[in-house]
Amino acid sequence: MRRFGLLFLAILLCSIPSATRAEESYTLDLSEIEKKPYSFAGYVEARPALYGLDSSSAFYRLRYFDDPKRQILGEANGRVRLEGSYEKSLFRVFARLNTDLQYNDSAHASERTTFYEAYASAKPADFFKIDVGKKTLKWGKGYAWNPVAFADRPKDPDDPEQAMEGYIVATADIIRSFDGPLKTVSFSPVLFPVYDHINSNFGQNNTLNAAGRLYFLFYDTDIDVMFMTGGGRPDRYGFDFSRNLTTNFEIHGEYAWIRNNRKTVLNAAGAARTVEGEAHSFLFGLRYLTSFDLTAIVEFYSTSAGFHRDEMKNFYSLISRGFDAYTKTGDLAGLARSIQLAESGYARPNAMRNYLYARLSQKEPFDILYFTPSLTCMVNTDDFSANILPEILYTGITNLELRLRAGVLIGGRNTEFGEKQNTWRIELRAGYYF
Amino acid sequence: MIRKVLLIISLLVCLAWPALAVDGTKLLREIDRNLSPESYESYRKLINIEPDGKKKEFTLFTVKKGTDKVASLFLAPASEKGRSTLRLGDNMWLHIPNVGKPIRITSLQSVVGGVFNNADILQLDYAVEYDVLDVKEEGDEYLLRLKAKSKSVAYDQLKIRADKAKRLPTKIECLTEANMLIKTLYFKDVKDFGGGLVRPAVIETDSPLYKGYKSVMITAKIKKRAFKDEVFTLTFMPNLESLR
Repeated sequence: MRRFGLLFLAILLCSIPSATRAEESYTLDLSEIEKKPYSFAGYVEARPALYGLDSSSAFYRLRYFDDPKRQILGEANGRVRLEGSYEKSLFRVFARLNTDLQYNDSAHASERTTFYEAYASAKPADFFKIDVGKKTLKWGKGYAWNPVAFADRPKDPDDPEQAMEGYIVATADIIRSFDGPLKTVSFSPVLFPVYDHINSNFGQNNTLNAAGRLYFLFYDTDIDVMFMTGGGRPDRYGFDFSRNLTTNFEIHGEYAWIRNNRKTVLNAAGAARTVEGEAHSFLFGLRYLTSFDLTAIVEFYSTSAGFHRDEMKNFYSLISRGFDAYTKTGDLAGLARSIQLAESGYARPNAMRNYLYARLSQKEPFDILYFTPSLTCMVNTDDFSANILPEILYTGITNLELRLRAGVLIGGRNTEFGEKQNTWRIELRAGYYF
Repeated sequence: MIRKVLLIISLLVCLAWPALAVDGTKLLREIDRNLSPESYESYRKLINIEPDGKKKEFTLFTVKKGTDKVASLFLAPASEKGRSTLRLGDNMWLHIPNVGKPIRITSLQSVVGGVFNNADILQLDYAVEYDVLDVKEEGDEYLLRLKAKSKSVAYDQLKIRADKAKRLPTKIECLTEANMLIKTLYFKDVKDFGGGLVRPAVIETDSPLYKGYKSVMITAKIKKRAFKDEVFTLTFMPNLESLR
């Protein structure tokens, strides 16, 4: 009995430390939150990709006219993004340097290093700030498109969350807050120079453009009114809004009006002419979160600056005629002209007029932590071709993001997604933040 | 005569009764003020703990002003650094520096994953979002039953257990309209933060909806600080770091 008692005591004593361990103590080391005048951060990414090519498509013929039988294209992409800042008193400088590397088995290797952003700021008061340098302004409320982002480069609708390169600008933010239904008003004027070595690819050279955005938070609705004028590009005006209808249901929209918009269009014979006129673009979208953590983003985008179906068909025919001429006679003139037209607008993403975008992402299904599968679908509602992108994202390892994504392009001849150079693709993106 | 005296005594007791009962709204406001000054800055760490013990940590700098303005900036880990969230009443936004403009988010989502949702992270005073239905005294604790003032509040009902002497919560149960338990918050490790603020440094939470998972919020620093209203605007979100 005594032996049993001692054994019980020993078990009890052994169990005490483990019970104590179960009551973990949590601390936050103050050195973790100490602010330094400088900061440094970075991101490295590896993105191998495989493309299934469609050798009879227009864009394949335009790009690989001298290699007409290629089926598969392997590609290795890399990215290094470094950023740093230094702050002293009311002044701050910030720079983000981006290097993109690409190698594909069509024997093309490329490297491009550029400052995405590099600017100096002065913030004399909480309601007033000035920035001068290269900066992205990020106007608009849309997820996949931003027709009102007058002073930004266009987003890649395939990957709208990617960091973007800015333009050299001088801008300010002036903010006022109020009580009542109008809670906030802010104004952001922008000076946007376009000269030989400054923003030279933006539009008409030797122009100093002025732009601005006026923001209101009015009756719990975000409203922006914006403009850009000065000759670099045709004058443009727009507005956007965003509002939560319920706690899990948001709607947003954008509208842009461009005066004297110019585009080059082709007739059936392949003759080009410049058409000038007003252009209207709008976007309407919603974001909905279900009780089981499924987020749906749906957007419809329409722009009269885009190409009609016939105009695109004429472009595809021009490529076809150029390719036939090249294969029969070796004459590159037709294809060279097509490449020129492609660069002028026909090859830009979503070059036509009406698109529907839907993205569904389910957070942590089947209790798999940090795992988010998504399905994105973009439909050209003029020709009903589509780009479908299923993906899985895993963020379970701190600072590491793994994304596996496929893409299937659906569409017949003379349709936007049917004439892309590939019919499918699969890519893995591994990104590490430090 | 005896009947008259008894009547007067009964009337006096009836009149004095409300004065003896606890004023729930006043008590809730006291609890709010004991948890934080009306306007403050704080540094917090959020830890999501998985059933197998794996952890994910986030460090946040948070500023609050008045009854309806809160903003937070992520300081760590590197993948989240620079992200900021803003709450103005029922409106919430998330700003991700690379992605672009702030997007609207909802109170029931969580920008950090885990059991804490956005309403927990960008929390307003309880008295701003809830009415007190009743208060009971149970030993050395008060039990307050709260009802959300509107449908936009994250939890329809709260049951707050508060220490009578310290007037600080020890446990809060968050419930749906149908009385279903969504999560329980446990307030631990009462600590002196200076400036007269003595409050729990650790808030743990678990949920029957996330069995085996736990999230912890540790407050390292919290102090009274005044801010301009302009700090709590979409335009200011990318500049929150300048307040540190």
